[in-house]
Amino acid sequence: MLPYLVVSGLTTGSLYALVAMGLVIVYKATTVVNFAHGELFMVGGFLAYTFHVLLKLGYVVSLVLAVVAALLLGLVTERVAYRPLTRAPAISLVLAAVGFSFVLKGAARQIWGGLGDYIPFPPLVATPAITLGGLILVPQQLVVLAGALICMGLFMVFFTSTRAGKMLQATAENAKAARLAGIRVDRVYAFTWAAGAATGAAAAVLMAPLTFVYPDVGSPLLVKAFAAAVLGGFGSLPGAVLGGFSIGLIENLAGGYIHTSFTDISAFLVIMVVLVVRPTGFFGPRAVRRI
Amino acid sequence: MAPLAGRRNVFGLAALALAALPALANPYILYVTNIALIYVILAVGLNLLLGYAGQFAFANAALFGIGAYATGLLQVKLGLSFWIAFPVAVLFTTLVGVVVALPALRLSGLYLALVTLAFAQFTQWLMLNWERVTFGAGGFRVPALTFGPVAPALGLYYVTLLLAGLLVAVAWNTVRSGIGRALVAVRDSEVAAEALAVDLARYKTIAFSLSALYAGVAGGLYSAILSFVAPEGFDLFQMVVQFSMVVVGGLGSVWGSVLGAGLLVGLQEALRAFKGAQEIAFGLLLMACIIFLPDGLISLVKRRVPGWEEPLRAPDPPA
Repeated sequence: MLPYLVVSGLTTGSLYALVAMGLVIVYKATTVVNFAHGELFMVGGFLAYTFHVLLKLGYVVSLVLAVVAALLLGLVTERVAYRPLTRAPAISLVLAAVGFSFVLKGAARQIWGGLGDYIPFPPLVATPAITLGGLILVPQQLVVLAGALICMGLFMVFFTSTRAGKMLQATAENAKAARLAGIRVDRVYAFTWAAGAATGAAAAVLMAPLTFVYPDVGSPLLVKAFAAAVLGGFGSLPGAVLGGFSIGLIENLAGGYIHTSFTDISAFLVIMVVLVVRPTGFFGPRAVRRI
Repeated sequence: MAPLAGRRNVFGLAALALAALPALANPYILYVTNIALIYVILAVGLNLLLGYAGQFAFANAALFGIGAYATGLLQVKLGLSFWIAFPVAVLFTTLVGVVVALPALRLSGLYLALVTLAFAQFTQWLMLNWERVTFGAGGFRVPALTFGPVAPALGLYYVTLLLAGLLVAVAWNTVRSGIGRALVAVRDSEVAAEALAVDLARYKTIAFSLSALYAGVAGGLYSAILSFVAPEGFDLFQMVVQFSMVVVGGLGSVWGSVLGAGLLVGLQEALRAFKGAQEIAFGLLLMACIIFLPDGLISLVKRRVPGWEEPLRAPDPPA
């Protein structure tokens, strides 16, 4: 049972890692946590469903379209829940994002809610499970794992090697200095929100064939991505990836060996324990308090 | 002489109207007013934590649920009467609130929000999955209350009115006392508060346990008025409803919360049948208020009507 649990843990973990990356990208640049990230993910899933199942487009085309739509939605999020509040207290920013997330959730319920409670998404590959030396591999999972790794790789390359990625890093490092160096910081902020939403949507489209799509999928997923990001030390991209895989493994192993219901709560327990015991996670910077 | 539209006259009239309401209104209006009073308790309690002490926590809906579950379960499982189960449940909820405050002593801002969000989801999970105790997703029925010769709905209404009035008065006196000033000091700057010998741990614990106590009272009354307890009333959306009430009324204003709760319960009732529409309405309201009216409706009242000034208003955002 162990190898199977590990493979499925890594698969779901790769998706948590992607979602957590989206959170961390926005956090690094703006020091704001996007509490609407789970709903951006959910809308991404429904958009992919609309393109792929209702409009019968190809899977890859649907993925690209959903990601592009999520990019635009990320820009909207920035416009309505971040930009008007850059000078407001942190509480206002979180409240606005929570408000926006419920607007998205309600809208999804109005638009797609009539299709049924849980909408199945057709599988990507129809091949049955392969047995490899006692190890049962579900091709579906392997495709998802590969897709998630490719997405992560693309983002890493983007951050380290492209001009836009470097601007983003510079802004995250020191917004004032970046502005002095001629970087349009406002645009960079808008772009990070878009990029964060896009990673969320990519994760949603990859995850949809494994699970179901439903309007309430966002908040539990947000908690899992938080757990991943917190475990990695909020603000570190490699930490978020490692944290995502860890959460996936922890919840699958806990679900397999303790009780299936533990799959759902491992992430909550991890958050509570990590934040109380070691709030900086794996890679987090030492906490510095600014007065 | 006090102004005609001063606080004293307005609240005297409002209290009279609420006390006389059962004689005038139909059972549905009475029920909605009763629910509104329960939300007044919730919103005022949450405002003590969020608006005064500045602690951003997602725990209030879960604590509301814990109050309702504890009140109901003590009656159903142990056969206690409501009048014993209710205070015990309130005490239990307050203790849970103190436990939630523990991480808050070490964490602040974002991390506190995350821990309490995890706590809220965990509570929701317990309600759904710990079926031996909580009866799972279907919920359970609570024995109906009786008040001797008085009709149950009427008796419960007066109990709620009494408790709501009492708790609002307690909150109003608390925020004007040394405790209130200490809470505001913690909100505005933890470092400065510490330098002024404000014991952070003590006042954060006070804020969390007070808001938990309010949530527990509201939960117990809620279980009694519905005669039914189920997990879905205590989810994240419940939290958004409470946030909206506090923000629409005015962060850091007791009377604002009374106003916000009273107004928004009407909205919730009007949209009761449409979950999606409720979510959109409350989400939009919360966002719009944060962006366009950060001090809430009460700020409009304060600006126009003399005699409504409240001390300890929210600080201007840092430039």
